[in-house]
Amino acid sequence: MMEDETFTDISGKAISLSCQDHSSLCKEFVVSVPKVSIGKVMVYTCCVWLLAYVVFFFTENTAVLSSAIFITLVGMMLHIHFVKVDHETLLFIGSLGIQLSSSYASGRETTTFIEMGKIKDIVINEAIYMHQIIYYLCVLLKDPSEPNAVARVVPLFQSSKPRLNCLVKVYKSCQEILSKC
Amino acid sequence: MGPDGAPGPAVPWRKVLWERQPFPDNYVDQRFLEELRRNEGIRQYRYWTVVKEAGFVGEQLSCVAIFITLWLYMEQGQLSPERLLWSSLICALLGYGLHQALTSQVQSGCEPRTRLADLQSATIFLSFTFGFSPVLKTLTESVSTDTVYAMSAMMLLAHLVSFPYAQPSPPGSLSLNAALFASVCLASRLPGALHTFAMLSCALLVFALWPCLLQRLREKAPSHFTGVCVGVCFAGVGGLGSQWPGGAVLLALALGSVTLLCPLLLVRLQRHKDNIQGPWDEAEIQEDLSHFLH
Amino acid sequence: MVLKIFFPQCCNRADSGLLVGRWLSGHDSAVVLAVIHYPFIPGQVKQYIQQIQARSGVELSVLGSWSLPKEGQEGMESFLRDLSTIFPQKRWLQINRELGKTGFNCQVLSRDQNGRVIPREIKKKADKIDGDDGEKKGKKKTKKEEEKEKEEEKEKEEEKEKEEEKEKEKEKEKEEEKEKEEDEEEKVIFVHYEQRKVMLSQLHPIENGLSDPTTDPTSELRQMFRSVALSQPLFFLDRYDDGPLKSTHWQSEGREASIIVELLKHSTLPLCVLIRWLLSIWTWICNIRVFSLSPLRFLSSKLSTCVQLSYRTEHMRTLSSQKPAAGHTEFMRKANMVVSVLLDVALGMLLMWWLYKDNHISMLANTLVPAADHVAKELEELLQWLMGAPAGLKMNRALDQVLGRFFLYHIHLWISYIHLMSPFIEGILWYGGLSACFGLTFALSLLSDMVALLTFHIYCFYVYGARLYCLKIYGLSSLWRLFRGKKWNVLRQRVDSCSYDLDQLFIGTLLFTVLLFLLPTTALYYLVFTLLRLVVVLFQGVLHLSVDFINSFPLFAVALRITRSYRLAEGVKFKVLCEEPGTALHLLMEINPLKSSTVVQLYRTPTYSCYPKDSWAALAKKLFVGELIYPWRHKTTKTD
Repeated sequence: MMEDETFTDISGKAISLSCQDHSSLCKEFVVSVPKVSIGKVMVYTCCVWLLAYVVFFFTENTAVLSSAIFITLVGMMLHIHFVKVDHETLLFIGSLGIQLSSSYASGRETTTFIEMGKIKDIVINEAIYMHQIIYYLCVLLKDPSEPNAVARVVPLFQSSKPRLNCLVKVYKSCQEILSKC
Repeated sequence: MGPDGAPGPAVPWRKVLWERQPFPDNYVDQRFLEELRRNEGIRQYRYWTVVKEAGFVGEQLSCVAIFITLWLYMEQGQLSPERLLWSSLICALLGYGLHQALTSQVQSGCEPRTRLADLQSATIFLSFTFGFSPVLKTLTESVSTDTVYAMSAMMLLAHLVSFPYAQPSPPGSLSLNAALFASVCLASRLPGALHTFAMLSCALLVFALWPCLLQRLREKAPSHFTGVCVGVCFAGVGGLGSQWPGGAVLLALALGSVTLLCPLLLVRLQRHKDNIQGPWDEAEIQEDLSHFLH
Repeated sequence: MVLKIFFPQCCNRADSGLLVGRWLSGHDSAVVLAVIHYPFIPGQVKQYIQQIQARSGVELSVLGSWSLPKEGQEGMESFLRDLSTIFPQKRWLQINRELGKTGFNCQVLSRDQNGRVIPREIKKKADKIDGDDGEKKGKKKTKKEEEKEKEEEKEKEEEKEKEEEKEKEKEKEKEEEKEKEEDEEEKVIFVHYEQRKVMLSQLHPIENGLSDPTTDPTSELRQMFRSVALSQPLFFLDRYDDGPLKSTHWQSEGREASIIVELLKHSTLPLCVLIRWLLSIWTWICNIRVFSLSPLRFLSSKLSTCVQLSYRTEHMRTLSSQKPAAGHTEFMRKANMVVSVLLDVALGMLLMWWLYKDNHISMLANTLVPAADHVAKELEELLQWLMGAPAGLKMNRALDQVLGRFFLYHIHLWISYIHLMSPFIEGILWYGGLSACFGLTFALSLLSDMVALLTFHIYCFYVYGARLYCLKIYGLSSLWRLFRGKKWNVLRQRVDSCSYDLDQLFIGTLLFTVLLFLLPTTALYYLVFTLLRLVVVLFQGVLHLSVDFINSFPLFAVALRITRSYRLAEGVKFKVLCEEPGTALHLLMEINPLKSSTVVQLYRTPTYSCYPKDSWAALAKKLFVGELIYPWRHKTTKTD
């Protein structure tokens, strides 16, 4: 069961959410961020190269140009490897736990799994972010010493930052599974 | 519901918060402004009294002028350090005698300084100044003359600003230190070590000991005090005039404005004063600036 | 409720048999560890399980049955159900695979307090087969199975009777139950895991082994990992063993490759004894009273070679101890130490080979003295420049001259000292180079010490400049308070106003003026010598850092992380495997390896640089105030 809808993130960029039901206990939510736009890459590259050319014009040192190429390449690689997130996945397995994974544009994937025994609840929270108020989905973790206290808050979809309507959808499905277990 | 939009219920409003009332918390009624008070504790000044008090400011200004005059004389070699030293010594002895005479008349001081302590202090002044004068002489050698003059001017200004006119004895630390700093700066520009020594002893006399004597005079013989002030003012203007006529004119103008014009302005502007106080708590801005200073 | 079954991947295609594993306490989940195949004698199985349990300390039990139908083997349902009576359990799992399907079917039989078996259907499909079990039971028994059953005939007979009664009752109940169970249908999640990886991996953060696993409400995954790791004895049963039981589980590839490892293990024992003996001699030497006298002691705490020596001694003492490593952390610590010592010695040997190959030593010695001379010459020129009007700054001429001459005299002393030393330098270098056989770290520490000794004049200049500057700064700050008519109240730790005497004010102002006008000259000398000192400190700092890096870098852990990434696990990750409609959810559990940065952080050997150092702001403040800076940390300033 796949459904695709267009949602926007907090800055208005289009993102897509796809929900996949593996069974009644196990649901997977994938929030995909649009790919790196070629125009943006062009603009950055052009900026660096123009700057390098200006420096080259005054210094007449060709090392400047080659280093500019190097810098652009390395910068791009670092960007897609460490910064640019392609999609974030939330795998909710009832009675077992929650798995959060985000895969970067280069294919690198980081995964964390939170066991059900540690999870207290999953809620939508609001936060002040720069000059606006945003909503985010977060997992509340139990404090092992104190059963009613919240030890830690793990925010979900940190890099894609979807808006409330998208979060509500995920939240409802998650609560549905939580109530079953 | 706005603060003033409350309907008039039968219950009278009371200015308390601990009681539940049918008014919003920020409600006040008509009686609020009745407690307004204006210009509480105002003092009415009379012109000549103010002029008399302002004379002291003028006198201190003239003292600075006299010191500068002496320095100018020394720098141009028209005054030998020996003459200055001798005249300073005579002045100091005369002043000390006068001071003692004024003190013995009343016996007001709770713990009068003994002659021995005075002698000890004098010895310390003289020996330190004499010992340091060669060092002080070379101290500002490499610093440019303009910088030294600017620094001295700043310091003398600081001395005048921070001088405790209401209670000049004991002298305020900052004012005395600033004046001494300025005199060290100026003295280091003089040709010889003895010049420096003479200039510094003179500075001590003018800035540290003279205000003490004057204060005693103001307490004991107010009529003489006014006379002395006027005399010092004339001496300052006259002394400066002999070296630098333009400066003398400026000083005379400054003295005139400080002693005559400013009191006039103060008395005239007194009736425009409008200070209101009432049953409200005034916001006080407490800024602790002291941590910038150390 | 959801039942979670952790199922080893290697048993996916195992022949039918019994599932051996354990129920996780406090959680609704079971870990399957092995499959024991038909035919078997139940008594032997029980005995075997008890044996294993005694050896591993894990509560093992028969969880249920596993059936992978082959041709001509159909409808074993009733037989499987009968098995549950042989191995009485609270819950009996019946997992079966169907031909042509990837998913498993699972049926759970619960036994209530009276000992009745109440099947709870998970799949409606299972219902059908259940219906005609009576007939097929007899047919499908093989001869061997019949033999087995004879042994326990008595037990069985009784239970059969019971079962028949139950069967009737069940028919009635079934109708009611069916409706109920439609709602509270029990769900099963199969989590497939790779037995070998889970057995070998260590979950982080590491828990102390002290806490009792049975009473502790640990997390489910931790319990699962622990039970797999502890049941290692179970896996020693080989496929080709001629024992009475055949089983499927993870099996090692054989012990052929480990012969070398075994030999090494045996050879380390005498080596350890030797090292211990050497260490005892070394300790005896160190404890001679001459070395504990205060000047020698102070010197040895400042010389980085001595510090390095003490670290290595400590390491060797740890390594040569007779006790085997207790727990994972201890083991990793030791392994890291061994690898770092070996690497260190190897690098040191490489350095020695290079040094003594083409007589590089004498070349170095020949360049060292002129270099020191050159540095002294440069310093002299610098001082001459400072004594004039450096960078157009106007300094106090008299003080400038005094300071300049003072420092020039020092340089003169220094040069004569160097010339006195020059004949011995080659010898010192030659013998010093031998220390590289103890490891590269020794050579580097020695180099650092030599640099410190050779730049002693710079250090002296720096100390003089700093002391003078410090004095001025403190004097100025207190006289500035006097200038404003304030004073420092020691009791209240604050600045109070104070009325000074006339003579105090006068002398204070005089001193203030003098200090203020002399400050630029002192500050310039201080600045120049501090910069020189900083260059030396930077060089020594780089040396110390590299020594520290070699000492503390957890090479073994990092190598383990790279080659066997499952050994150090941060957690797990799941993948949804197959999705056939109608079957249970199948997940694949993989091991999420620890991040490399965490590995380094966690397993680095603690050394002196692990203590918090001065922050940059603190360093800048120290430099401004004129406090002395050192490349090493003072033991006294370290509070805890």
